Amino acid sequence: MGQKIELACIIDDDKIYVNLVRKIIEIKKLSENLLIFKNGLEALDYFKVILSNLTEDKLPEIIFLDLNMPVMDGWEFLGEFVKIKNNFDKKISLYVVSSSIDPRDLERAKSFNLVTDYLIKPIELKKFEKIFDKNVA
Amino acid sequence: MLNDLQLNSILEDFDIAYWKINLLTKEVTWSEHFESLVGKHNSEETLIDYFLNNILHRDYRYDFILGFENLTLDSQNFNQEIKLKLNNDKYRWFECRNLKSKENSGKETAVLLFVNIHQSKRDQYTIEENFFYYRETAEMTSTGGWYIDTLAKAIYWDDVTKKILDCPRDFNLDYNERLRFYSLDHQETALSMFDKCEKYGIPFKVELKMVTLYGREFWVRATGKPVYNDEQSIIGIRGVFQDIDENKSNEHNLQNSLDIIAAQNSRLFNFAHVVSHNLRSHSSNLSLVVQLLNETKIEKDKLELIDNIADISENLDVSISTLNNMVTHHDLMKKERQMVIFQDSLDLVINSVSSLINRESAKIISDFKAMKEIEYIPEYLGSILLNLITNAIRYKQPGRKPIIFIQTYLINDQPYLEISDNGMGIDLNQYGDKMFGMYKTFHSNPDAKGIGLFITKNQVETMGGTISVTSTVNIGTTFKIKF
Repeated sequence: MGQKIELACIIDDDKIYVNLVRKIIEIKKLSENLLIFKNGLEALDYFKVILSNLTEDKLPEIIFLDLNMPVMDGWEFLGEFVKIKNNFDKKISLYVVSSSIDPRDLERAKSFNLVTDYLIKPIELKKFEKIFDKNVA
Repeated sequence: MLNDLQLNSILEDFDIAYWKINLLTKEVTWSEHFESLVGKHNSEETLIDYFLNNILHRDYRYDFILGFENLTLDSQNFNQEIKLKLNNDKYRWFECRNLKSKENSGKETAVLLFVNIHQSKRDQYTIEENFFYYRETAEMTSTGGWYIDTLAKAIYWDDVTKKILDCPRDFNLDYNERLRFYSLDHQETALSMFDKCEKYGIPFKVELKMVTLYGREFWVRATGKPVYNDEQSIIGIRGVFQDIDENKSNEHNLQNSLDIIAAQNSRLFNFAHVVSHNLRSHSSNLSLVVQLLNETKIEKDKLELIDNIADISENLDVSISTLNNMVTHHDLMKKERQMVIFQDSLDLVINSVSSLINRESAKIISDFKAMKEIEYIPEYLGSILLNLITNAIRYKQPGRKPIIFIQTYLINDQPYLEISDNGMGIDLNQYGDKMFGMYKTFHSNPDAKGIGLFITKNQVETMGGTISVTSTVNIGTTFKIKF
């Protein structure tokens, strides 16, 4: 497919991982633009600003959310995000990404309606491509 | 004076029956009341024989005959407790004694009184029984009774109390010396309990440390209640002491075991956390790198990826060495302790971070007057000081030059070290539990020189101590280490 995602978003504090994912997206041309936040709070603040400015087009179509982050971790972010999600129409696919294979984490992530899926690191390139494909508008 | 009828009536009321004995003919007559109690005698036997064979309980026969003869032949006084079978076929206790006349000898009749003492006899048995159980219980549970006469200012102890306190049976406690049997740190509490009870009638139940006559300290549970006189004023305090020393020490041991287990558990949990999160994230990054290496054709990109491998490998190293720390702390506990002089240790640390100190214009003030040195593992002390100092500088209040105050002191021979700073402080309500948690360490690329409060806490605890923190946002933070 020639179509690309306009804007993808990674919320993760692992610099190495973020760099690698950015590389993947570049090489495979999976997304036009990329938003990166190193913890849940930074991401949340950004989204709140967007919403107050009513610039919905600046919202990403995909979010990859890590669970273990300082300041505000993935769970806390989900808790807050759920509250503001209904203020916009845009469909956002939110993937919870974690290196944890603890089944409790999987259960907990699935309990949030707005979570599209729970991905376990490392995510294979092929899988990345599939995910981006699926979410092309 | 009362007439016969009235007298008889009174006797009946008090359940006193009697015999009249003619000392010359040895003839015995029963009072009407006696007859009504034991039933009419209808046989050929004399009253006395009938009595001996049918009414008197066999156990008392011999003594009764002897006493009766002494009475009738020698006018010796008679006083015995006997059991008689009444009309209802039940045996009852009676006190049997002769009426002592005021006249001189030479009288012709003797009167033998029979007083029903059954109820009081039973009561006596009950009392004896109760006393038996009380004594056995007191001995078994090491519980002693005591009484304080607040008016006369006197103290009475029973045998068990004296035994508990290693005092001889003839020991008499002086009211003014009463506090010497309480351990120094509990004397105030004891005094206030007794005072409140004496003044306001407030009963107490309290666990205290007491001291025996020989100076041995032990734990006691003391209860006390006020004693009122008829006018409802407090005239004394009555209570018991129970020796619970063994219980207390078992309690302590149990608590210690629980604490150790809880700490072990938490370490185990942390260990699992490190493995499942950190190690996996490093290994997953490695696999991503490998995948990318296969995908990318550009030299420049390949070289960049190799740099990433270097970073990942370093992170892996840190994670693994931390895991190592968590597991081997047991062995380190056995490592030899040395006398470490605080000032020396501090000087080393200041040296190693001198550039950081200069850059931030930080001031470090120390006061080790109260305690100059401690038996410790020097590397640990250095590491602990290093981490706390670098944190204090790193988290300074913006615009304010960091000032760090380090002090050692002793409370009741227990050594403490405090490090206070004037930095940005921490909202303990929000981050309190996470402060010493693992998370902070690994996900913010640990500084090579200071590796987080988690390690510090581990080190302090490995050496058998505890660390706690108090803080006010925008004002500063104080870490207190109890060695």
